[in-house]
Amino acid sequence: MATDPEDCDSRWPRRLYRDGSEPDPRFTLANERTFLAWIRTALALMAGGVGIEALNAVTDRPSPFRTALAILLLLAGVLSSATAFTRWMVTERALRRGRPLPAPRLAPVLGYGLGAVGVAACVLLFVTGL
Amino acid sequence: MERPTGPWDPGLQVERTTLAWLRTTLAFVAGMLVLLRLIGHESTIAAAACGVLTLPLGITISWLVWRRHLRNERRLHAETPLPGGALPAAVAALSVLAGCSGLIYVLFA
Repeated sequence: MATDPEDCDSRWPRRLYRDGSEPDPRFTLANERTFLAWIRTALALMAGGVGIEALNAVTDRPSPFRTALAILLLLAGVLSSATAFTRWMVTERALRRGRPLPAPRLAPVLGYGLGAVGVAACVLLFVTGL
Repeated sequence: MERPTGPWDPGLQVERTTLAWLRTTLAFVAGMLVLLRLIGHESTIAAAACGVLTLPLGITISWLVWRRHLRNERRLHAETPLPGGALPAAVAALSVLAGCSGLIYVLFA
């Protein structure tokens, strides 16, 4: 077997790996996949934001509502990706310590928030032809 | 390589995780291409500069993901600890940067 260039003791972030004991690898991999799902959600939100703003460029009537919606979606995307890694780390620490997993605080906010944004966008679409 | 007899298959766990990584990389590259196309309307030079800076990142991440895949498989079979969080941290930082460039586009384009 080839020697592994990344020594197990040099894993980053070090403070995390000094805590507790190695969890079941299935849980570590599942945590990584959840992190990636958050990143994809963030990228989708950002794509939505940029897409809505791009509509302003192709129509002759740029709308401030569209820009506001685009900024809202982009901020939600930045927030999701900024908290994704912290959440991965907190979950990994809980796994290493054998503690309960942290509650998903951003998920309900994002769910209800996006629902509200969707309803507002529909109303705007029918009232002003957004 | 021998297939395991246990209740779960290490190969499948690693494969699923690698596929999740590749989906994320693909989403990142597709998003950057769309953004570059839009920036191209404003300034070709800016779009070319951003393209030169960001597109090699897609290839680099894919290569790092493949390396991580091989390392995961090796370590799972050797029953040693899995790789650390440097690559997730880097990808999260990149995603924040992508969001900020989107914001700059919306606010200033």
